[in-house]
Amino acid sequence: MIRKIRKQMTLSRVVLIVFLSCIAVFMLLPIIFLFNNAFKPLNELFLFPPTIFVQHPTMRNFEQLLLHTAAGVVPFSRYLFNSLLISGITLVAVVLVSTMAGYVLSKHRFHFKRLIMALIMISLMFVPETVMIPRYLMMSGLKLTDTYFAHILPFIAAPVAVFLMKQFIDQIPDALVESAKLDGATDMTVFTRIIIPLTAPAVATVCIITFQAVFLDTETSMNYITNETMKTMAYYVTAFTSNVPGVAAVSISAAVGLLMFVPNLILFLLFQRKMIQTMLHSGVK
Amino acid sequence: MNSIKERRRSYLQFRWKEYGVGYLFMLPWLIGFVLFVAFPIGSSLYNSFNKILITSDGFQYKWVGLENYRQMLVVNNAYPIILISYFQEMIAIIPLILVFSFFVALMLNQKFPGRGLMRAIFFLPVIFATGQVLMELFVQGAGELPFMKEYNINAFVEQFFYGGLATTIINVLSKAVIILWYSGVQILIFIAGFQTIPKSLYEAIRVDGASPWESFWKITFPGMVPFIGLNAIFTIVDLFTFPFNPVMEIVGRNMFEPSTGYGYASAMAWLYFGIILLLLGIVLGITYRATKGNGGIR
Repeated sequence: MIRKIRKQMTLSRVVLIVFLSCIAVFMLLPIIFLFNNAFKPLNELFLFPPTIFVQHPTMRNFEQLLLHTAAGVVPFSRYLFNSLLISGITLVAVVLVSTMAGYVLSKHRFHFKRLIMALIMISLMFVPETVMIPRYLMMSGLKLTDTYFAHILPFIAAPVAVFLMKQFIDQIPDALVESAKLDGATDMTVFTRIIIPLTAPAVATVCIITFQAVFLDTETSMNYITNETMKTMAYYVTAFTSNVPGVAAVSISAAVGLLMFVPNLILFLLFQRKMIQTMLHSGVK
Repeated sequence: MNSIKERRRSYLQFRWKEYGVGYLFMLPWLIGFVLFVAFPIGSSLYNSFNKILITSDGFQYKWVGLENYRQMLVVNNAYPIILISYFQEMIAIIPLILVFSFFVALMLNQKFPGRGLMRAIFFLPVIFATGQVLMELFVQGAGELPFMKEYNINAFVEQFFYGGLATTIINVLSKAVIILWYSGVQILIFIAGFQTIPKSLYEAIRVDGASPWESFWKITFPGMVPFIGLNAIFTIVDLFTFPFNPVMEIVGRNMFEPSTGYGYASAMAWLYFGIILLLLGIVLGITYRATKGNGGIR
């Protein structure tokens, strides 16, 4: 066993691993900071220059958070439920809609294809703030304000997901789709049996990107929702951190930072393994 | 006669089927896109030619033509200066991100124990490189390389290099965080790109007596050009919609200011947008040239 490992360890490989580890530590730094920050007592939070590691860990920040949320009118669990429901539905919808669009954009012929691609490229880089008011007018025109649809629908039109999907599906050879069609497969079969399994890595990527966009989004709750029980957790925690007076805000925001980050991390760790596996074994070559 | 007609009809039917499926699959996304992206963007272009007043009974539009643009470029000339300096910075960063992620991807594509874990770590920044978590980190000072202050690296650099060179190095060092955090997706795209180059090609060139160095330049690099193009586009988009972008901050600030108003802010955004579009056009043009002949991305 040891001999086998030693056999694998050539000098260049050791250098490679050491070099990569150095950069990897650097990449992990912000996460380590986030975790440590949440457990810092007040005097360490205000330390300058800020330190990375906590010296005397406490749970005080989380106690503060619980204390202040308990005083609210709408229970905390309601916001959590809203957030989970909205991100769940949005994730499924975005993946389905953008894979469908990506498939036909890549493998089918129809009119306006170039125009649609150009539109996607353009809208990819548009500054979101400027479309805020027109979007609001649209929302209220469609009578969507104060419904869950206001949270979900704008994300379905995400150009990023379609763009990624199209690029990934381009890598699937046309011959695969054609041979399936010759064997009598309908478009639906091609889509569910060939496209969806082969795009699994892209689906995982889209899931991660979409989830964090939805889960951390405060704008929808701020602009389109007036009913307090329909708002999301992200909005709630930001709004309330800015309402709490004095130094308590800093300690609460440290705790909140960690709490908002953890679901993202879990989802990432969940999908990451699948993503790498599918990428190594998939027929996409 | 009849058979020609029939054939024509069945051809049309076939074509319609192919096109129809295309439309059908495209439709759900297209509806959403028109309602929530295309229409708002179009109306913001229209807004940029208007002076918009927010009154008690809704918005009042007054057509002013190019007045907003003139104001911004000639009268209030702070905006163009910020714009230019921002673009200078970004143009320096983009190649760095591309080179860095290319080489990390190259290394992550080698065989070594713990490769899966390494890949996961390098992709990790993707989950906090946007929005709130990043905002939180920057507010708490994690974005500015804590150890730079702790170990006084700035003074160290200034001691050993002089003048302009020192400031450039410090600037690049302070941007190092952004470069590292922003290369997650790029690394992933590059790794996926490396998988598309068949192994037999490397074997063939090795049998022909090429060194690894030659096989990199003759096979890996040309095969990766479309992916480099894709990554360049992705990086540009990613950087220019960055939440702490000083340009966007100004646009946001001007939006609800009574003296300037929403129309003026829209005009600012459209100017910004126009320049980004130009940059993307250049990148696309270069990529297209480089991949001409073998398809590539488009």
